[in-house]
Amino acid sequence: MSVQRQGRKVAIVGVGYSDVGRNTGLSERHHAAQAAVRALEDAGLQAKDIDGASTWGGDAVDFGWMIGFDDLRWSLNVGVAPAFITPAYHAAQAVAMGHADTVMAFRIMMQQPPSAALASGAAMLGEPSMADAQFRWPYGNFSPVQWAGLLMNRYMHETGATEEHFARFAEVQRSYAQRNPDALLRDPLSAEDYLAKPYVTKPLRVLDCDYPCDSGSAVIFTTEERARDLRQPMVLVEASALSAIRDMNFELLPDMVRTSPKHCGDLLWSRTDLRPENVSTAHLYDGFSIITLQWLEGLGLCEPGGAAQFVMDGETRLGGKVPTNTDGGAINVGRRHGANFCIEAVRQLRGQCGDRQVAGADVSVWANAVGMFSGAMLLTKG
Amino acid sequence: MDTPLPPAPPDDPLTTFFWEAARRHELHIQRCQSCGTYIHMPRPICRNCQSFDLAGEQVSGRATLYSWTQTYKPFHPYFVERVPYVIATVTLVEQPGLQFMCNLIGIDQANVDAEARMGMDLEVTFQDLGDGYVVPQFKPVGVVL
Repeated sequence: MSVQRQGRKVAIVGVGYSDVGRNTGLSERHHAAQAAVRALEDAGLQAKDIDGASTWGGDAVDFGWMIGFDDLRWSLNVGVAPAFITPAYHAAQAVAMGHADTVMAFRIMMQQPPSAALASGAAMLGEPSMADAQFRWPYGNFSPVQWAGLLMNRYMHETGATEEHFARFAEVQRSYAQRNPDALLRDPLSAEDYLAKPYVTKPLRVLDCDYPCDSGSAVIFTTEERARDLRQPMVLVEASALSAIRDMNFELLPDMVRTSPKHCGDLLWSRTDLRPENVSTAHLYDGFSIITLQWLEGLGLCEPGGAAQFVMDGETRLGGKVPTNTDGGAINVGRRHGANFCIEAVRQLRGQCGDRQVAGADVSVWANAVGMFSGAMLLTKG
Repeated sequence: MDTPLPPAPPDDPLTTFFWEAARRHELHIQRCQSCGTYIHMPRPICRNCQSFDLAGEQVSGRATLYSWTQTYKPFHPYFVERVPYVIATVTLVEQPGLQFMCNLIGIDQANVDAEARMGMDLEVTFQDLGDGYVVPQFKPVGVVL
């Protein structure tokens, strides 16, 4: 039974970013306001047209009043969850079910303290409770980059992927970023440049990590009916899925190769008649590069265990079987925590991606998170 | 060394058994007294049978290496002079998928690719960080520290 088909058909009609950058000096509210105004302008909507809001980062009610939305018929603040897909998924559901007609979903994320500040004791560790951290901190396990190192190493062990595969991945992503004016990192990057970087936590290097920054992202969902009267080419939500397969301790996943994206991918495809081979472009979370590889496999876009070779063979490049992370990924556009994948998917389906446009793109999938939880959304050209 | 220790375990009734056992150089893992399922990290309920009758029990201290990562970047003052070090997930032999996170010690940090082999047999050992803060660690079977 299709979740989306139980309600009204939903469209994405507006997308926008704040002035994303390193230590911008702008507040969370300022980033939210900039992203919102740009998403409204993109859609051709007024603030008063918005009657629902969701966010991870800041407060949806606070944002709605500040920006001048209509009285909200629906709102949601998301806690720790699979990145932007969570406020986005629920925003789409709120529209589908008629709880609101036009909902803005936000992800506002401020740059985290640098590891040097943490190491000197000058900054606080960002974990509120010692309940589970008591089993991590004595071992020097403080950062998500360390579970990512565990996942990456186990993946390499089981699939035969090597550091050279990850080097190619970095090179391909940067080649897209060079075609994207929104990207923060656009200098040429070769596989050799990647391999020359030191390890953060072996086998993972700094260019396997998303790029810390301050970012605000906003996406507007409304009904297909209302979208017909708006400014942009139609982009429809075909199907979506959320998955959670264990608690928040990534380090304890008993299978680090087949994690939540596999479960999530199965759910997604059970809710649509489209198939993996119909996908024109893929926009797959790269908080760490290993995550994108898990999604390529979890969504069935390549063979199980074959993602590294798929990348090595150029299948994720323009002209490959599944052009992937065509904005350059968060490794290059900066940590927009999943929202960039949604926004780039929308722009591909509208045909607005300039030098990196995939000709004839009509089905795009975007996906967030990995490990114990994840989410994915399939979009089509209307 | 004046650097602060890692944050100490909180006053947590659910995990007191674990840290008290570690001080005696024993590895105890929470176990359901109704169905026998081991649970780590400790929780107030058994996820297999929903019993609340749970207690710490000593385990063999044998495990196999599931994955590892060698950290070069310190994220806390205590580790500034201790990088690189290996974080590992090990599978305790008592139950399939009973994962435990620790450091892999007793290996040559300069030769970690050769010495840390996935699936290798490991045994528990105990490391005193100071002030009675003792943590269970794993090392290759037979290695003398």
